[in-house]
Amino acid sequence: MIRIVTLEKLDPADLAFLTRTLYQAFGLGTELAGERAVPSDVETSDGRLDAVKLLKEVAPVRTFADDKVLYIVGAPLALPPGPLGEPPCWGFAEYGKERAVITTANLPARGVTEASIEAWRRRLAREAIHAVGHLWDLHHCYDAKCAMHPSWSQSLPANPEMELCSFCRDKSERKIRLAKT
Amino acid sequence: MRGPPARHHDEAREQLPAPEGLIADASELKPNDRVVYPSQGVCVVVGDEEMEIAGQKQQFVRMAREEDGSAISVPKNKVPSIGLRRVATGAQMEGVFHYLGAVYDDPELDWKVRHRDNADRLIAGGVLGVAEVVKGLHSLSRLRPLPTKEREQYDNARHLLVHEVAVSLGVPPGIAEDYIDYALMPPAGVKFDLKPPPAPVLLPSRPKKRLPVAEEEEGGALADLGLGDLGIDLGALDGALEGEAVAGEEGHGEGEGEREGEEAGEGGAEGAEAAGEEEAPPPPPRPERKPKAPPKERKAAEKKERPAAAAKPAGAKVAEKKAKAPQAKAAKPAKAAAKKGPTKKAAEKPARAAPRRGGKKK
Ligand SMILES: [Zn+2]
Ligand SMILES: [Zn+2]
Repeated sequence: MIRIVTLEKLDPADLAFLTRTLYQAFGLGTELAGERAVPSDVETSDGRLDAVKLLKEVAPVRTFADDKVLYIVGAPLALPPGPLGEPPCWGFAEYGKERAVITTANLPARGVTEASIEAWRRRLAREAIHAVGHLWDLHHCYDAKCAMHPSWSQSLPANPEMELCSFCRDKSERKIRLAKT
Repeated sequence: MRGPPARHHDEAREQLPAPEGLIADASELKPNDRVVYPSQGVCVVVGDEEMEIAGQKQQFVRMAREEDGSAISVPKNKVPSIGLRRVATGAQMEGVFHYLGAVYDDPELDWKVRHRDNADRLIAGGVLGVAEVVKGLHSLSRLRPLPTKEREQYDNARHLLVHEVAVSLGVPPGIAEDYIDYALMPPAGVKFDLKPPPAPVLLPSRPKKRLPVAEEEEGGALADLGLGDLGIDLGALDGALEGEAVAGEEGHGEGEGEREGEEAGEGGAEGAEAAGEEEAPPPPPRPERKPKAPPKERKAAEKKERPAAAAKPAGAKVAEKKAKAPQAKAAKPAKAAAKKGPTKKAAEKPARAAPRRGGKKK
């Protein structure tokens, strides 16, 4: 089961699209598990949210074995800088474990036209699939058409696909099957 | 920048030092040491233990895999031959990132050479060798999609690198992977101020002709080096009770040997050959130098190796025993079991002589 928890208000139709898309991507029941508040002390000095700390401190939701919880925030997320600097942060997942967070801050403007809203939803769904993919042990993928391709890659088209490539899909299915038995 | 150099000539072998941090003897391991077991992932040493295998008491080093807590036991006398090494230091890791961030566009195009060399790099190339596999296959993937086996090899190398970076830098694996890809595929407008990358891993040449070894041997060797496991899905190993079965998971099942075969389209029969090479065990005579061969002794070693391999006890397969850790996920046994077939298949292939491993050039 994938449980979606919002830390900002999202349009119910957007969430319905997201729920449906995650279900299709992983073949796992997906439901909304309510709203939570952003923990008080996870803000960094530049006003972003510390992604690692946020996942540690956000109020939990009730889960069962192998449930995955996806938190969605509106504020930009921050990661600790690495050897070559800080990578852009579209989300952070506890690899192979239970929780992930993604932000809507980097998405294209949602706008008001049918096309822009559709593009926004698809990109949100793509990032959600990416984060949940990490929770199911998926690594990044070199295929720019795959949702596991790094979200900041220059190879990514403006409106990237929101599907997993066959390699990543097979791997996730294998992992999910294993978890079920 | 050019990619990793080709396997070099015999004369150069003497200059090859052991990869940094390689564990040459079980006595170097102390509880709480963190090590990279190429076929299994990053492990923490738990301590010594004694087990009875086929009526014989044997000394083991017990380790716990960091990512899932699975217990892994390795016979002490096998420690020098499994490519066990210490987790890279901060300084080594920095070099790895400057390597990953550099540009090179001449990936090895001969899949047979590439796949074999990459298998060697994963086992004996240290952390830089793992990074070379990731970067090399990544740059190749920009020219064309990788064949199935190499796609798996890429994923496994990435898995190993992600976890070593995570442990070495003290960050969660999810962030370690972002660091890696930030270096490999920087966002638009980002330019790194890179230092010269460390010298690439040099791989010694391999014997041109290989004598067949008893079939069982090959299986055992496979098991030992767990090369197949570099195709590993570490997660699935923990349910297995016996070493071989263990490695079986993505291990031997989808090991190099297997993969080579599938690649007929690209390499045909040669694939099988490469497979054989990768799985033979290093020679017992020079435990300290394990996977990579001290150049000079190489010819001599070669001779010794074959007999050594042949002498390997059949029971070696069961040597590595794994117990399921409490927090391990359920259902792994099923997967491990499912892979036993391929393991067997791998064992049936004609074996080749022991391989020479590459070392890092200083
Ligand atoms: Zn990611
Ligand atoms: Zn993919």
